[in-house]
Amino acid sequence: MKVFIVPPNSLILYDLVERYGHTPLSLMGAISKRVMNPEIESPPINVTPNDVKKGLKYAGIEVPSGIRGRLAVWGPLVDEAEAAIIMEDAPFEFGCVGCHRTDEMIRFLVKKRKIPLLEVRYPTNEDEAKVLVSKIKSFLEGLK
Amino acid sequence: MPKDTETRMIVIAPSSSVTPDQITRLIHTLSAEVTVKETCYGAMVEGERAEVAKTLEAVRKLDPNRIFSKVRGFPIGDARRCRAHHGSRPGFTQLEKEWECLSLIEKGVTCAEKGEAPPEIPRRQKITVEELKRIVEETG
Repeated sequence: MKVFIVPPNSLILYDLVERYGHTPLSLMGAISKRVMNPEIESPPINVTPNDVKKGLKYAGIEVPSGIRGRLAVWGPLVDEAEAAIIMEDAPFEFGCVGCHRTDEMIRFLVKKRKIPLLEVRYPTNEDEAKVLVSKIKSFLEGLK
Repeated sequence: MPKDTETRMIVIAPSSSVTPDQITRLIHTLSAEVTVKETCYGAMVEGERAEVAKTLEAVRKLDPNRIFSKVRGFPIGDARRCRAHHGSRPGFTQLEKEWECLSLIEKGVTCAEKGEAPPEIPRRQKITVEELKRIVEETG
């Protein structure tokens, strides 16, 4: 099954989803299609002006273009997803996934789709990590 | 570049004794049709999807629970990301922080593999009024 992950570029979630036999839908995969496709733009750009228009499907016109641009990439992944895992409390919500409003929108879009959803937190110690992996494993095995 | 090309990051957990050099040497000995680049966190592999999957399977055997992997959006040496060309690395902060977490995740994966029940973590309770009063009085 196709599993959408939040943060969408998480190494931990990507690896665990694949390890337990599912296909992760990630930001890297979506970006890869954009930058490796020779037809898209020259030079290739991560987010094109057209994407910002596509983002209108997921957010209103009054929403800043940065959010719409991000949603244009993440939104189709949410539409495609058959399940989702959200990992909260990322202590590094900056950089390319650092837009808090987009994060909130994406959580809303995932919940609106009513697909199987697992919400967990980043571990801070060994016991929490054991609980996290066990929850993810049983969630993913339950999807089969 | 062919359409079915994939770039993968192979990341070694800090608790592992495997080195990036060992991984790249192993990939070279496999004679797979992939490009490999040694990095500080492990290695990057690029090639046809099936070849990359086969390579990854062989690399994982070195230390199954301590070698992690994810797809990379940009190809190896892409001028927009490669440090040699002063490219920006907006995803590196996330990778760095998650790398620190990998030793914990490895314990979780091992625990799940053995079928052990995870430990019970007591839920965080709300602070009592008495405790709050004590803190307020202490801080003056």
